[in-house]
Amino acid sequence: MINEFLNMGGYGFYIWTSFLIVTVFCFILYYKTKKTLKKYEKELAQELEKLPIEHRKRIARSSKVISSILASQNKLS
Amino acid sequence: MDFFSFGKIIVYIDKFIKFINSIFFLVLIIGLSFALIISPMDYLQGDTVRIMYVHVPSAWIGLSIFSIIAIGTLLNFVFKIKNLYLFVKSLAPIGLLFTCLAIVTGSLWGKPTWGTWWAWDARLTSMLILMLFYVFFIMSFKIFKDSEKLPQILSAISILGIINIPIIKYSVEWWSTLHQPASIKIMGTSSIHSSMLVPLFLMLLVLLLYCALIFLMKYKTEIIKIKKRNIKRL
Amino acid sequence: MLTKKIKTRLFFLLSVIFITLLFLAFIYFSLKQNILYFKTPSEIFIVDGIKSNSKIRVGGMVKKDSIQQNNKEIKFILTDYKKELIVVYNGAIPNLFSEERGAVVEGKLNDKSYLIADRILAKHDENYMPPEMKKILENAK
Repeated sequence: MINEFLNMGGYGFYIWTSFLIVTVFCFILYYKTKKTLKKYEKELAQELEKLPIEHRKRIARSSKVISSILASQNKLS
Repeated sequence: MDFFSFGKIIVYIDKFIKFINSIFFLVLIIGLSFALIISPMDYLQGDTVRIMYVHVPSAWIGLSIFSIIAIGTLLNFVFKIKNLYLFVKSLAPIGLLFTCLAIVTGSLWGKPTWGTWWAWDARLTSMLILMLFYVFFIMSFKIFKDSEKLPQILSAISILGIINIPIIKYSVEWWSTLHQPASIKIMGTSSIHSSMLVPLFLMLLVLLLYCALIFLMKYKTEIIKIKKRNIKRL
Repeated sequence: MLTKKIKTRLFFLLSVIFITLLFLAFIYFSLKQNILYFKTPSEIFIVDGIKSNSKIRVGGMVKKDSIQQNNKEIKFILTDYKKELIVVYNGAIPNLFSEERGAVVEGKLNDKSYLIADRILAKHDENYMPPEMKKILENAK
């Protein structure tokens, strides 16, 4: 039963390879994108850390992007 | 203009990413079980027809993303909208991925059905040219990063590339090719049985969700890059 | 609404598109013959200029009851329902190759109705359906 399913009427190699290739490459792109995003989020948070606290608070209030990233970074740490 | 401010966009992006993450695996499992188990085999090709469920959506996505980025680039060239540039830049790699996947899965489908991995017929060749255009497009982001010429170069590639899109689409009707004609037409009935259309559109949905997820993540990265560059000014 | 700058860019863009289209049209008309992946048996019959020792691809339907196979070679008739072409071939045959189905053969013409192939490709159409459905369709005929 399982063998029959894997064999796919003799075409198993072609079918499984094509599904596998799609999955693997989609995952690689996902992984790389996620890694880059995390990297930039962290770098931005680090640069903000360097600023004096008053300044940082003012930025966080004025920019939603900054405040949301600070929030997500704080959750992690 | 206020609607498109990054502050508002980023809230929606986060919501969307969360939403896609929550439903993605469910849709994937449904899609795959239809594509690999529930759907029947073809009267002629047997189980090889299942390759269609990844091949056809990939090709559609590859073609439509190029059309979108080409039009976006041309609009950006004329109207100079910063957001559009980020939009195009985030979308392009996804299109390249799916164009390559369409070619590779097509090759894996061609071997058991036609008897060859590759043929230089009009459809396959024009698809390969599309892949090259994608490569040029993405390369020029890196090579001409700080050049003022970047919009011109991207526009030139877009013009040449978008002419290739109808050629790909109609190549199977205009010329004799090894590739079969389109089964699903914009107008008129499709020549795929409904029991095979269900997995086809489910897999299309899965891949579209995936595209949206990658696009949103890349777009967010671009916004953060800009914020980081401007941090001194804040 | 359109400023002068935008108008200039728009004009520039349109002229580039126009020139590109002209250029591509020119390429198309000079390459017209090479875009076709295969010729039909009728086209072979009409055209005189086919050199007998150059390779050629012909596509058509495999005629019903025309396949003759022995352990050395396979012989069949390729037809486009107007003209017919006898094909001789030895080698691997694709799984989908059979009677009344499309095929593309690649090889050298002996004369206008006889081709020695060194490659056969199967061509399938755009219809996909489960086997039961096919039976129903056939019974309805």
